[in-house]
Amino acid sequence: MLPFDFDYFKPDTLEEAVELFQYLDHNGKQPMFFSGGTELITLGRIDLAYTEAVIDIKEIADCRVMSLNGGQLLLGSTLTLTEIEETNLFPLLTKTASEIADHTARVKITLGGNICARIFYREAVLPFLLADSQVVIVGPEGKKAVPIHEIFHEQLLLNRGELLVQTITESRFIRAPFFAIKRRQQWETGYPLITVAALKIDEKVRVAVSGLCPFPFRSKEVEIALNSGQSIEARVEAALRVLPRPILDDVEGSADYRLFVFRNILTDALYKLEKERI
Amino acid sequence: MDVIGKSVIRKDALDKVTGRAMYTDDYQTVHMLSGKIVISPYGHARIVSIDTQEAWKVPGVRAIIAGKHFPLVGESIRDRPPIAVDKVRYHGEPVALVVADTPAQAKQAADLIQVQYELLPVVNSPTQAFEKNAPLVHERLGEYEKEEDSHPVPGTNIATHIKIRKGNMELGWRESETIVEASFSFAPSDHAAMETRCAIAEIEPDGTVQIMTSSQAPFMVKQLLSDYFNIELGKIIVRTPLVGGAYGGKASVQLEVLAYLASKEVGGRPVKILNTREEDILTSPCHIGLDATVKLGADRQGKLKAAEIIFLWDGGAYSDKAIDVTRAGAVDCTGPYRVDNVWCDSYCMYTNHPYAAPFRGFSHSELSFAIERTMDLLAQKLNMDPLELRYINAIMPGDTTPTRVLLNKSNVGNLQKCIEKVRELIKWDEGAISRVNDRLIRVKGVSCSWKTSTIDANAPSGAILTFNRDGSINLMAGVIEIGTGTKTVLAQILAERLKMDVNKIHVRMEVDTQTTPQHWKTVASRGTFMSGRAVLNAAEDVIVQLKEIASCVLRAPKEDLEIANSRVFLRDDPSIGLDFKDISFGYKYPNGNSVGGQIIGRGHYVLRHISNLDPETGEGRPGPEWTVAAYGVEVEFDLRDYTYQLLTAATVVDCGRVMNQKMAEGQVMGAMSMGLAFASRETFYFDKLGRVLNPQLRTYRPLRYGENPRYLVGFVETPQIDGPYGARGLGEHGVMGMPGALGNALSIAAGVSLHHLPLIPELIWRAKEAANGAPL
Repeated sequence: MLPFDFDYFKPDTLEEAVELFQYLDHNGKQPMFFSGGTELITLGRIDLAYTEAVIDIKEIADCRVMSLNGGQLLLGSTLTLTEIEETNLFPLLTKTASEIADHTARVKITLGGNICARIFYREAVLPFLLADSQVVIVGPEGKKAVPIHEIFHEQLLLNRGELLVQTITESRFIRAPFFAIKRRQQWETGYPLITVAALKIDEKVRVAVSGLCPFPFRSKEVEIALNSGQSIEARVEAALRVLPRPILDDVEGSADYRLFVFRNILTDALYKLEKERI
Repeated sequence: MDVIGKSVIRKDALDKVTGRAMYTDDYQTVHMLSGKIVISPYGHARIVSIDTQEAWKVPGVRAIIAGKHFPLVGESIRDRPPIAVDKVRYHGEPVALVVADTPAQAKQAADLIQVQYELLPVVNSPTQAFEKNAPLVHERLGEYEKEEDSHPVPGTNIATHIKIRKGNMELGWRESETIVEASFSFAPSDHAAMETRCAIAEIEPDGTVQIMTSSQAPFMVKQLLSDYFNIELGKIIVRTPLVGGAYGGKASVQLEVLAYLASKEVGGRPVKILNTREEDILTSPCHIGLDATVKLGADRQGKLKAAEIIFLWDGGAYSDKAIDVTRAGAVDCTGPYRVDNVWCDSYCMYTNHPYAAPFRGFSHSELSFAIERTMDLLAQKLNMDPLELRYINAIMPGDTTPTRVLLNKSNVGNLQKCIEKVRELIKWDEGAISRVNDRLIRVKGVSCSWKTSTIDANAPSGAILTFNRDGSINLMAGVIEIGTGTKTVLAQILAERLKMDVNKIHVRMEVDTQTTPQHWKTVASRGTFMSGRAVLNAAEDVIVQLKEIASCVLRAPKEDLEIANSRVFLRDDPSIGLDFKDISFGYKYPNGNSVGGQIIGRGHYVLRHISNLDPETGEGRPGPEWTVAAYGVEVEFDLRDYTYQLLTAATVVDCGRVMNQKMAEGQVMGAMSMGLAFASRETFYFDKLGRVLNPQLRTYRPLRYGENPRYLVGFVETPQIDGPYGARGLGEHGVMGMPGALGNALSIAAGVSLHHLPLIPELIWRAKEAANGAPL
């Protein structure tokens, strides 16, 4: 049960959505863009989220795009994770997304919702970080495509009133050999202890990580270490020395244990991807 | 025998699978108000001030209760204020209660109540609680009202102390060539029933208190409300519809008290309090934690000679049912083995943790982890097969229990047969360890358990049978349908006794304490046994009455009459007889004259020969019989990552008699699932302030479908002579051996002795690191 009432708006276009946000914000309604709604419901009921107006964007056509042509994959931000899994246009994304939450929740959780989530794992972003994707943003200033590395640092740095519309990914990344694994405290349910997505492109291994730090990341230093040409074990150790900080230390696992797990996962990723030939 | 043992479909099945079934929260009336609890965010703190000013401004608020002294409550010791005053003793403790027109208003107001706390030193484990100079959870322990057999020690955190002194310890150790000693611990956890607890209270103008509650113990609710608030027993009516899982957690009486106080505050209007999941985990009582030390001695052949055991139970902030759990743990402290020399100290400790309710197995899954891990350590030291060690020490008729009850062929099951059967089920003889590849090995672990049900010496059960005009029968019994299917088994028992179609027996699912005959509590795997006996007793009563009227109409002596297929007839000529429908409301002769009248059957049962324990030696008869069981678990273990998969879990239980094959298997499988979840994942994580860091199902995760192993269930049938058709308790036993068997499998697999729960890969990694880094 949400302990507060809110107005509900369902605009047909992005322009309308952006205008509504500004109008409601101006009137002190603390508006919120809304698609799957899982965070509003689960955080709202324990007083960690509040709004007086939600703007439901999940059926705006631009946010529903799913196309692969001209060497580009476009994915709308309000596609649900199950839709992405079932269509399977980006196998690495399918694999990563299919481990988020559980099936019942993934029918609701959207791509954009997960990338912009307040709960910091945001695992759906990992494949896009690896693929140097672009994100399409709309806001009061209009619509623009931005390289994800410019705008995603720990989280998607949207300005007030902006929203994520689509991702654009070059198809060569979609076909690249990949490795993805999610390790939890125990078995198949729960938040990540560590989620790793990796791919190999231009003979280089790329790695993006969630659950190791209180934010998802792809680190240049880690990748330099992993591609430095020594033995796999030495490269993994070198990568561990340049990790971003802090390392998470919480009920899912201690920092030391996470490093133990991460070391093994990186080793597995390298072994798998070294064997691959494009 | 037609009905007993058959997989009769549960009488509540259709309503449950179609979603029609009603639980407490589904009952709503127009003028019902909503109660919302404000809970303590700390484990131990002084309440400096409570500001309700802003909360009162929320529209719809009818009452705010805070800082008020009510009579102290609690089952064995009256140590708990229903709503905290002066200080809070656990994270989740109620500090205020808001009553408003709607749940949303109540929550809004509750969120606006400002409570200022001053932190106090926290008692964060039972071992810490036991230390000299530990902070006191209860400063005035000596002043509380209590039951005679609770033994709190004022000036300490000891809520009770149960002693077992059997045999001669000196002799025992002298006869022991091999001795092992080890310590074990795990934190409290949760029951995680699907239905969160809910209670509704209304006080009618004439003072009648109407309660509806999701409880395993509506008759206890009635009794306790009467005791606590001095209400006439006959003026309390407690109703319990279907209950959506309980596992012991709903045997405690808590929300009923709060709902009653809330209703009283608003002039008697009905008030509903429904736990959120977080409240159900934090505020309502939890699954007990334990710190244990076990020392076992055996002779050269592996025969156990001595056992010295210390249990420090984590009773939490209030003793309530933890006192009884502490006693039950002492009573069966050795596990199902013959040990002639036993010394056990079982302490119920106060800590600043959520307080404990019973949990399926009532101390036995907990103590079994400590005992069964130590048994494996002993087997290792003796260089013996762990299953063989258990086999040669298995408790048998002629042995005595730790409280010196002499066992016979009826009051204990056949453990050796259970062990033999589990040995086959898990293919033990093919080897405990097999290698899959460089990294993966498959390992089996085993364990055993036993349990008697330590329940009140005069615990009653009753049953009433009435007829419908078509000759079908209505069965009313006080057992709560908590999901175990007991009410269906009762119908089977009645059908069997009356040799009639079970579909012509209608079972009332809901219990109300005004019209349903009293059943003590639906706990301790006693439903089928006690209520089954009451139903058989009622069946006899009905048979006598049916035969009486038939004998008159048929002009034949009662001794010549037989009952079957809803008919009373002549034994030597079944064609001469009368259908139930023609006599159950009296018999009407063709000319209109009538004889007899409505037949109402009544039956009752009370446990016999239960006695209190001697406070110095523990001697006494705590329960009616011991059900025994043997278990095996097989895992596939990754030697590099310390991760593992559950492959197989097996339980063989001597249930006396299988009453309903599918339901019995379902009970045992469900219990195994619960035991494995407790063993491998479920726990509360506490911080230094005594806060539970994972009070949500996001972070507190029971076993999900698909994570389960393959379940194997076997039964041994050694009848309990006084049980209904020989049946013994069954509902809890699947849980009890899982932590021990899993712990044993993983200890073998990892090559390191594991002493804590839950058995997550990180715990194994930590134990390996400690072992690798340990100085030689």
